[in-house]
Amino acid sequence: MGRYIARRLLQAIPLLFIISIGLFVLMQNLGDPLATMGGRMPTRSADRERLKRQLGLDKPVLVQYLYWLIGNNWTETDLDGDGIAETPGTRKGVLRGDFGISLVNRKPVLQVIGERLPATLLLMGAYEIVVIVGALVVGIYSAVRQYSALDHAVTGISFVLYSMPIFFIGLLSIYVFAVSFQRWGLPSLPPNGMFDPQVGKTPSQVALHMILPVLSLALISLAGYSRYIRSTMLEVLHQDYIRTAKSKGLERRYILLVHALKNAALPIVTIVGLDLPTLLGGAIVTERIFAWPGMGRLFLDHVERVDVAVVMAILMLVSVAVIVFQLLTDIAYAWLDPRIRYD
Amino acid sequence: MKKTWFSTVLALAVIAALLLTACGATPEPTQPPVAAATNTPPPVAAATNTPPPVDTPVPPEPKIATFIWTQEFDTLNPLYTNMWFSSITQQLWNCWAWDFDEAANPRPVLVKELPSVANGGISADGKTLTLKLRDDLVWSDGTLLTSADLLFTYEMTVNPKNAVASTAPYDQLEKVEAPDPQTLVMTFKEAYAPWVGTLWHGILPAHILKPVFEKDGTIDQAEWNLAPKVGCGPYVFQGWESGSFARFVANDKYWLGKPKIDEIFFRFVPDDASQVAALQTGDGDLGTFISYADIPTLQSANVTMITVFSGYAEGIYFYVDPQKGHPALQDQRVRKAFALAIDRAALCKDLLLGMTAPAATDWDNTPWNDPTIQPYPYDPEGAKALLDEAGWVDSNSDGVRDKDGVELVLDYGTTTREIRKDTQAVVQQQLAAVGIKVNLLNAESDLFFSSYGEGGPAAKGEYDIFEYSTAFHFPDPDTADWLCSEIPSDEKPDGTNWAANCDTELDALFAQQRTQVDISQRLDTFHQITKMIFDKVYWLGYWQDPDIWAIGPTLSNVKISGATPFFNISEWELTK
Repeated sequence: MGRYIARRLLQAIPLLFIISIGLFVLMQNLGDPLATMGGRMPTRSADRERLKRQLGLDKPVLVQYLYWLIGNNWTETDLDGDGIAETPGTRKGVLRGDFGISLVNRKPVLQVIGERLPATLLLMGAYEIVVIVGALVVGIYSAVRQYSALDHAVTGISFVLYSMPIFFIGLLSIYVFAVSFQRWGLPSLPPNGMFDPQVGKTPSQVALHMILPVLSLALISLAGYSRYIRSTMLEVLHQDYIRTAKSKGLERRYILLVHALKNAALPIVTIVGLDLPTLLGGAIVTERIFAWPGMGRLFLDHVERVDVAVVMAILMLVSVAVIVFQLLTDIAYAWLDPRIRYD
Repeated sequence: MKKTWFSTVLALAVIAALLLTACGATPEPTQPPVAAATNTPPPVAAATNTPPPVDTPVPPEPKIATFIWTQEFDTLNPLYTNMWFSSITQQLWNCWAWDFDEAANPRPVLVKELPSVANGGISADGKTLTLKLRDDLVWSDGTLLTSADLLFTYEMTVNPKNAVASTAPYDQLEKVEAPDPQTLVMTFKEAYAPWVGTLWHGILPAHILKPVFEKDGTIDQAEWNLAPKVGCGPYVFQGWESGSFARFVANDKYWLGKPKIDEIFFRFVPDDASQVAALQTGDGDLGTFISYADIPTLQSANVTMITVFSGYAEGIYFYVDPQKGHPALQDQRVRKAFALAIDRAALCKDLLLGMTAPAATDWDNTPWNDPTIQPYPYDPEGAKALLDEAGWVDSNSDGVRDKDGVELVLDYGTTTREIRKDTQAVVQQQLAAVGIKVNLLNAESDLFFSSYGEGGPAAKGEYDIFEYSTAFHFPDPDTADWLCSEIPSDEKPDGTNWAANCDTELDALFAQQRTQVDISQRLDTFHQITKMIFDKVYWLGYWQDPDIWAIGPTLSNVKISGATPFFNISEWELTK
C-alpha cells in the first residue's frame, strides 16, 4: 500500500504540471483583464499600455507562465517604459510558494484565498454532512420499505427536487422563510450573508445564516444521493449472504448497517470521493444568491475580472484536491473491501 | 420501541433547526436599559456632607445604517480603482476637492471656492489652476491636511513604480507646486477645460503613505489601500471583512460637522433578487442599480426610488469605417431611417415600465446638450421613404432591401444582459418592418468591452451596429470616443473610437472644447457637437439610463447626486 501511495503521488507531479499549462492557456481566452479597469468607462489607451507593462501582461504567454511557475526575481523588467529593463522582479513563483498578487485588489493570492476558504469549508462541510446523513436515512429506509407509500412519496419528491435548479430553490427559500415569514409576523430567517455585522460573527449567527443555503444545496443533492443509496442497497439486500445472515438470526439493524451497508458503500464512496474536492470550489450560484463569502463567489468575481493569478490558484487547489481525494477514495476501497489490494 | 440512532440524530437536527429559527428571529432593536422611575419619596436621611446622587444620562442608541452593495470593493485606494462601488464609497471616508450636488453643480469641499478666471484661480491662458484650501482641514487622526497631501497624491499618481488604475488627468500636468500649506498651483501642458469633473477624486495621506513608498519603492501593496484607517471624510473606516461587509463610523473630527448617522455598514450582496429581499426585510436601508422590474415590489415595501442621471444613455453606434463598414451605414439617410424605424418611446414604456425617456444625445439632461434637440419620432413610413431615396429597395422581393447587389443585412451586437437582449428582439422586428434585416449577436461583458488588441468584437468592427450604455466624464462633458486618433488599429490597439467615425469637423470641435476654460464658449462648442452627432445620426439613443437608488423608509433627508451620490450624507437621518 505504501508503494502504491508513493507511486500515485509521484504520478501527480507531471499531471499537475500538464493541468497548469492547459489552464494557463485557457485563461488567456477569458477576456481582457484591463477592459474592466476603467470602471464604468472603457479603459483609456494610455492607461492600458502602462498597466500592461506594469502588471507584466505585455509578455508572451509562455513567459507569463514561466514567471507564474518559477517567479521573476531572477530577472529585471521595464516598469517605466523607457525600454531599459532595470527593475528587479519581485515574484518567487508557485514552485516556491508564491502564487502571485491579485490583479483586482493587489493582495497576495494565498491571502485572498485564505480569507474565503474557511467560509466555504464550513458551508460545504455542513452541506456534505447533511446530504450524507440524510441520504443514508432516506435511501436505506426506501430500500427496506421498497414500494411502500412513503417510498413512493420520497421517490416523487426526489425527482421533483433533483430537477429543480439551485437558484430557484434558493430564491424561493429566501422569499418564503425570510421575506414572507417576516411579513406574516413569524420568526424569519436572514436572507443573506454569513452573519449580521451589527451583531458580530458568533456561532449562533453563523449557524442561523447557514440554514437556508445549506438546505437549498442539500435538498437537490440529497434527492440524487438517496436514489443512489436506495439502488445499491436494494442490490445488496437481495444477495445470498444477507439471506444467510437473516437465517442466522442476526439483529436487523446489524444486518443493515454491517453486512448490507458496508457492501453497498463502495459506489457511494466513489461518488462522495468525487464530490469532496469540488467542495473547495464552493457553490457559485448558492454563494451568490445567499451572499455567502466563499470560494465560489471569489472564483466568479475574479473570473469576471480575468484575474488569472487568483483563478489559477483556485483551479490548481481543486486539482490537487481531486488527486488527493481520489487517492483517499482508493484507500477507503481497500478498507471497505478486503478483496481489494494494491501493489 | 427502541429508537434508532438515525432517528435520534435526525430528530435532534430538526429540533436544533427549529430552536435556532425561533431564537434567531430577525432581532428587534433593543432599547438600552433605563433606570426604573419610582414614585416613592426618598428616605429622610440624617444630615451628612455626602453629595446628592447624580442621575447618569443614558447614552442614546447609535444610529446604524446598512447599505447593500452588489459588488464588493476591489480596493479603497482612490488611485487603484475606477470601480464605481469603490469610488463613491470614498465620499464617506475620503475627500474630494469639490463634489457635486443633485443638480450636478460643483460645490467646494477642500477648497474655499472653485477656481475661475474671475477669481484668479484660472490663468487667462487656461493653463494654470490655483487652489486655495480651507485652513481647518484635518485627517481623522488629527494631522493637518494641507497642499502637501495633494502634491503627494499627484506624485504617487504619475510615478511609474505605482500601477495605478489611471494617470488621467494628472499626466496632462507640466508641474504641480505647493508654495504654502493652503495653496496648490497646477500648470497644465495646455489649457485643460475638463478639470472640474476629473481632478482630485480622493486624496492620499502623505504622513501615512510616504514612509511606505520610501521603504517599498511603491504603494501598490500598502496596508492603507485595503484598510484606510486614516481618512478625511465624514466617516472613518473601521473594518472590512472580505466577501461580507465593510464598516465606517462617524468622524468626530470632520471639519463640516459630525454626521447624524453614527455608523454605516456596507453589505456585499451580489445577487439582484437577494438585494431586493434584503431591502424588503429591512436588512438593508439603501440599495442601488435596481432593475425596473423590481421597482413595484420595493415600492410596495415602502422603499422610495430615486432616479439620478449620471451621464449614461443607452444607444447604438454605427460602424462607419469606409473600407470595412457596411456601405449602407455610410449614408446619413440610412442611419436616420434607423432613428425613424425604431419606436424608442415604446421600448421605454414596455421594457422599462415608463421609468425613463428616449435619449436624443449622450448629453441629455445636462446644459451641454443643444436645447433645440428633440428625439426622433417613430415614423416607419418616413424611414421607408428615406431608404428608398438612398437607393435601398427590395429588388428581389425577399423582404430585405438591397442596392448594387448588397443586401441590407447587418450584424447587431451587444452584451448578454437580459434588457439588451429583449431590446434587440424588439428592434429586429421593427427594422424588419422597413426592410432591414439584423442578425443578433451577444457577448459576455468582459469580451464585449475588450479592446481591439484583445480581440474585442465591437472594437474590431465585427458588428455593424453595437449597443451599450455610454457616458462622458460626467459631470464634465469631455470624451475621447469620437476622435479620429482613437480609431482602433494594429498601430493603435487600445483605441476607443470603436465606431471608426472620423469626422474632421467633429474632431476639431472636440479638440477645441478641451481648451475652452470659458464656460460659455465651451457650452456653445458642445451645442455644435451634440447637434452634429444628432443630425448625422452617428449615435442613436435608445433611452436615458439613470441610476436607480432604493432608499428604505428608515432614511430621510437623502439627496443623491449623479456624480457624487453621497454628497450630503452628513445630513442623512435614520429612524428605526
